[in-house]
Amino acid sequence: MFRYILKKIRYLSLKNKNMFQDTMPEKSNSVPLVPELRKNLETIKGILRGSSDVTMHEFNFGHDRRFRGALVFINSMVDKEEIHKNILQPLMYDVLLLRNGVELDFTNIDTVRKNLIPITDNLKVTLLDDLMDNLLAGAVILLIDGSEEALVINLRKRESRSIEEPGTEAVVRGPREGFIENVNVNITLIRRKIKHPYLCVEKFVIGEKSKTDVYVIYLKNVANPKLIEEIRRRLSRIKIDAVLESGYIEQFIEDAPYSIFPTISNSEKPDKVVAKILEGRAAILADGTPFALVVPMVFIESFQSVEDYYARPFLASIMRLIRFLSYIISTLGPAIYVALTVFHQELIPTQLLISIAEGRERVPFPAILEASLMMFTFDILREAGVRLPKPVGQTVGIVGALVLGQASVEAGLISPIMVIVVSSTAIASFAVPAQTDSGTILRYIYLALAGIAGGFGVIMGLLATLIHLASLRSFGTPYLWPIAPLNLSALKDVFIRMPLWSMSKRPEAIIWDDGDSFSKSPGLMPSPCEKDNHDSD
Amino acid sequence: MSIEKGKVCSWQLLFLVAGFVQGSVLLIDFAVGITEHQTWMVILAGLVVSAPFILSYAVLAKRFQGMNVIQVNDLVYGRFLGKVVSVYYIFFYLMTLSFNIRDVGELYITFLMPDTPFIFLLIGFTATCAYAVYKGIEVLARVSHLFLITGMFVIISTFALLIDQMDFSNFLPLFELPFIRIFQGIHLMSAIPFGETIVFLMIIGSLNKTEHAIRNTFIGLLIGAISLLIVSVRNTAVLGKTQTIWTSTSFQSIRLIDIGTVLTRMDFLIGIAQTVLIFFKCSLFFYALAVAVAQLFGLKSYLPLVLPLAGIEVIIAATVFQSPVDHAGITQNAGIIYSAPLMFVIPPLTLLIAKIRGLPRHERGKDA
Amino acid sequence: MEKMNKQKRLGIYKKMYIREKTNIKIMKIILCILLLFVLSGCFGGREINDLEIVIGMGVDKDENTGKILITAQIVKEQSAEKTVGGGGEDSKAFWNVSSTGDSIFDAVRQITHKTGNRLFVSHNQAVIFGNEVVTEGLQEYLDFFLRAHEMRPTALILVAEDRALDIMDAKPETEKFPAINIAKLVKTYGFTSHFYKVNMKDFASSLMSGTTAPVAPLVRISDDRECKDVYVSGMGVFKKGKMVGKLNDEEVRGLLWVLGKVKSGVIIVPAPSGQGSAVLEIMNAKSKVIPEIKDGKIVMNVKIRQESSLSEQTTSENLATISAFEKLQKAQEEIIRQEIMKAFDKSRELNADIFGFGEMLHKKYNNQWKSLKDNWDDIYPTIELNIDVETKILKTDLLKKPVLPGEGEK
Repeated sequence: MFRYILKKIRYLSLKNKNMFQDTMPEKSNSVPLVPELRKNLETIKGILRGSSDVTMHEFNFGHDRRFRGALVFINSMVDKEEIHKNILQPLMYDVLLLRNGVELDFTNIDTVRKNLIPITDNLKVTLLDDLMDNLLAGAVILLIDGSEEALVINLRKRESRSIEEPGTEAVVRGPREGFIENVNVNITLIRRKIKHPYLCVEKFVIGEKSKTDVYVIYLKNVANPKLIEEIRRRLSRIKIDAVLESGYIEQFIEDAPYSIFPTISNSEKPDKVVAKILEGRAAILADGTPFALVVPMVFIESFQSVEDYYARPFLASIMRLIRFLSYIISTLGPAIYVALTVFHQELIPTQLLISIAEGRERVPFPAILEASLMMFTFDILREAGVRLPKPVGQTVGIVGALVLGQASVEAGLISPIMVIVVSSTAIASFAVPAQTDSGTILRYIYLALAGIAGGFGVIMGLLATLIHLASLRSFGTPYLWPIAPLNLSALKDVFIRMPLWSMSKRPEAIIWDDGDSFSKSPGLMPSPCEKDNHDSD
Repeated sequence: MSIEKGKVCSWQLLFLVAGFVQGSVLLIDFAVGITEHQTWMVILAGLVVSAPFILSYAVLAKRFQGMNVIQVNDLVYGRFLGKVVSVYYIFFYLMTLSFNIRDVGELYITFLMPDTPFIFLLIGFTATCAYAVYKGIEVLARVSHLFLITGMFVIISTFALLIDQMDFSNFLPLFELPFIRIFQGIHLMSAIPFGETIVFLMIIGSLNKTEHAIRNTFIGLLIGAISLLIVSVRNTAVLGKTQTIWTSTSFQSIRLIDIGTVLTRMDFLIGIAQTVLIFFKCSLFFYALAVAVAQLFGLKSYLPLVLPLAGIEVIIAATVFQSPVDHAGITQNAGIIYSAPLMFVIPPLTLLIAKIRGLPRHERGKDA
Repeated sequence: MEKMNKQKRLGIYKKMYIREKTNIKIMKIILCILLLFVLSGCFGGREINDLEIVIGMGVDKDENTGKILITAQIVKEQSAEKTVGGGGEDSKAFWNVSSTGDSIFDAVRQITHKTGNRLFVSHNQAVIFGNEVVTEGLQEYLDFFLRAHEMRPTALILVAEDRALDIMDAKPETEKFPAINIAKLVKTYGFTSHFYKVNMKDFASSLMSGTTAPVAPLVRISDDRECKDVYVSGMGVFKKGKMVGKLNDEEVRGLLWVLGKVKSGVIIVPAPSGQGSAVLEIMNAKSKVIPEIKDGKIVMNVKIRQESSLSEQTTSENLATISAFEKLQKAQEEIIRQEIMKAFDKSRELNADIFGFGEMLHKKYNNQWKSLKDNWDDIYPTIELNIDVETKILKTDLLKKPVLPGEGEK
């Protein structure tokens, strides 16, 4: 106990030190620009340490070419045509057309901006730091001798993929568009679906080196302000070098980093993200990745598919139940098989037991080893199939099926029933993509528990999982909501999907239940005109 | 001020109580040996007898809002006597918890996994309970209805599956046994499934609103009693005369399920239900125990106590009885005697003293 | 401003600290579980390959030593492949292994000397007791079958007319395993209602009653042709755990009429004309027994409601008429009454309360029962039976008229 306390104290002091070190190197080069062009250029050159792709173009402009200016930009990131047409040409030639051009003082950036630059996306900066940020982000910097300010003109040239159907969340019915790597396009996709002034887009820049644009998008007056505040707080805490994918952000802001269950959902589909925003959630979009994060996440979200809402409710409800069932099969399948055949043979019907026994007669391994072998092989096949190029991937599938299904049974290494169990488990695990991670891990855990302590182990494992799930929160929302804590009105959309017109409330746990935001505009049950139109005519 | 920060909703109390009472489903076997086919009657009588006392727990909790029983004891009985009473409570929690843990072990050793080491089962079970206790009462309350639904599902489905084997003439003649045995049965019933709700004295303090506490406790108690009743009726109707000879009547009646040779060997149903329900009961007990001990010693948090207490529980459970015979004998005779004053004397007495001394009002004044 | 920052930082730090604390907690729990793994290993489990799945058991007395002789029928697992390869006639799918011992459990454990593995008796379908065993008393043998945790109370009880061992050896033609075959035979008692399915729990239940006499179906080997067939029919009557007599097919049905357990069966009624007969199939039967004590005399009022259909006729007269139906119903009622009386007479002869009349009285006349209970043996033969049968014939199946030669030429 004493040692424990000592350890705590040591740990505490260490943590303190780290905290201060983290905050020390803040804005070290936030020096202002000077009114001398040469000096500014030299400073920039110094910072960039002679990178060869940086162009510094000095030129004279104005009526009598008495002003000196310079354009600084990174070659590959700007559209040079545009620079020629929209910056250099106006400054050097179009200026001649100005009637009062002689009188104007072009050492003032504002004058230049107002009279000569036909581009809306520009910005005045005075600090070297801001200048560098913009330069590195791909903007063109206009410096003018004698001015303490610089003009940032955005002429970014950006290759981006066209909007395609996302690979991960294919639908039969529903929009086919997916997010792409360009965050601006992604925001556009969302904006196009919610044309309401309440839609808020907040920008963060995360990553000491990457300076990635990260946007938080939510519906004001629907999303809980505490949630947004919490997101801001957590995002501002991130201190990493680079954000290469939204997964980086996810891992720094999630609630339970040690849990195998994800507490932040992600999606590639704008319609899905918009649906969640409309429920009062917030989306986090990072530049450079098509995957948007959505918080808060609840467990049952993994079992809801957008298509459930596009299709009519009957089959959708059945499919949802099937998804729950698949998750259960995929996590518990091998464990139950092992528990039954090793510990509780009395629970297997006699005829089945006899045929299992006959199938296992030549198998040299204990059931638990047999099951783990099969599961390993399956996971290897899956991993190999994902990484390989598509045509080779198919070969892997065929080889796997033959090796797994036939040869091993014929060789007497694996019993035929085990093949059925593991393959049905494998198929079931694909039915709930959002929980594939947790499902795979749980499958191994339960299998181990079943191998050690049979049904007792599995029940204890299940109880621990339940308690764990119930104790999780995602940005303040209980993870198992609305199952635990129970919310009867929200159960309309859990195991079955009630008709859309019957779901008139937004999820209570996610939004603040205060007046307006709780109830949506009332959906009316369709009530067709009683009389036949043709008759009355 | 309170050790527990988690809050329990008023309606969650209903599920907590119901699930807790349902968790005693295994324990009605103690009474079956005594009251035979009149067990169902004894359950109802036990409910009627113990209901006023249990409601007095709720009244007590309502009076001392946001306080657990250890705090109340200190307040009502004074520092020294209060501690003595609290130790009595803690002793009761400690022993009852270990008995219940042992029940699970015996269930598995006897029916499901006879070759597994007993101590391993105890450790596994207690560790899982400890995990739940770590997570706090809020989590347990949040999932309470799931336990209740699981229990109800199994109880009702097994009832339905056995309906063709039931012979309701097994309940006749209605009054046959001598009154002394009925009395013993009533005592057993009111003490074990119902009286153990004394554990809620540690939990009701965490309620966020005490408005409906009494009503919800009562409904919960009723649901619990109804499930015990269904089980008892099922067992008597199915097993008839033989019900007195089995170690576990529920298990034997489930083993008789045989519908179309497909729905047969349903032992797992009862295995799952009983494990899960006793887990719930034990977790509540364990939670109460940990908080009570922490409160007694004035600790800020009960979390550091969980592991040591789990160890103690396992040791007690493993060594306290020699065999199920021992277990049944002591529980039927000695067990209910030492617990009777705690259930039926102290809470009403506390309430009475509090009323005379006008305590909670004083306390509220201090708070404000 | 600075202060605010500091506070904020402290807040963040506090959060991190708490989080770190929970991590330690989680690590601890994982450590515990790991320890459990290491300490426990795999225990308590048995691979299916190592199981000797017992599907039937026989209990006999050893002729020479007088010890208990247990026969266990074990599934031979390799049989599947042998049969695929076109196994010969004598390749059996089962193995009957016997052993003697002083008690059943002792004998069962002795079997491990031959099998190498402990017997796995959860799938035991039926227990067959040899004739010698049942006449000496079944009670002492029953205990093991109820107490052992692997034994299920649904295992069937049968009584062999001779030795149980021989019955378990008779290889059935369609089923692979004799024991499963026997269990199947017993479970389909409803086709004839000439015997009744009795499992361990039923038997124990009537045994525990002070007055009811337990019954168990009889099984024997019929040697009609060259091959031996197992044949279940009739029931043995037990009193105080010993078999005291046997009921034949008719008497069993008489018993089942009263108990309300007749499911189906055939009643052959002489045709009203006196030539040939009508064969009726029992469709549905219900019974109600109301005990009554009148002036110290015990009367059991048995009410039976039965429905049947005309399934076959061997007479040339058209039975599908209202008058014929009435006559058939009358005759049918008489036959049922006779069957019940036969069973009752037999039970009086054996002085064994197979109907459970004692329990019925107990339930209704609890006060008088105390005096009746002690000399039930004397009282039972004096019980009067008041039988009231009502039957209906519901249908004539596919024919409206009998097939008669020359009938079509009209």
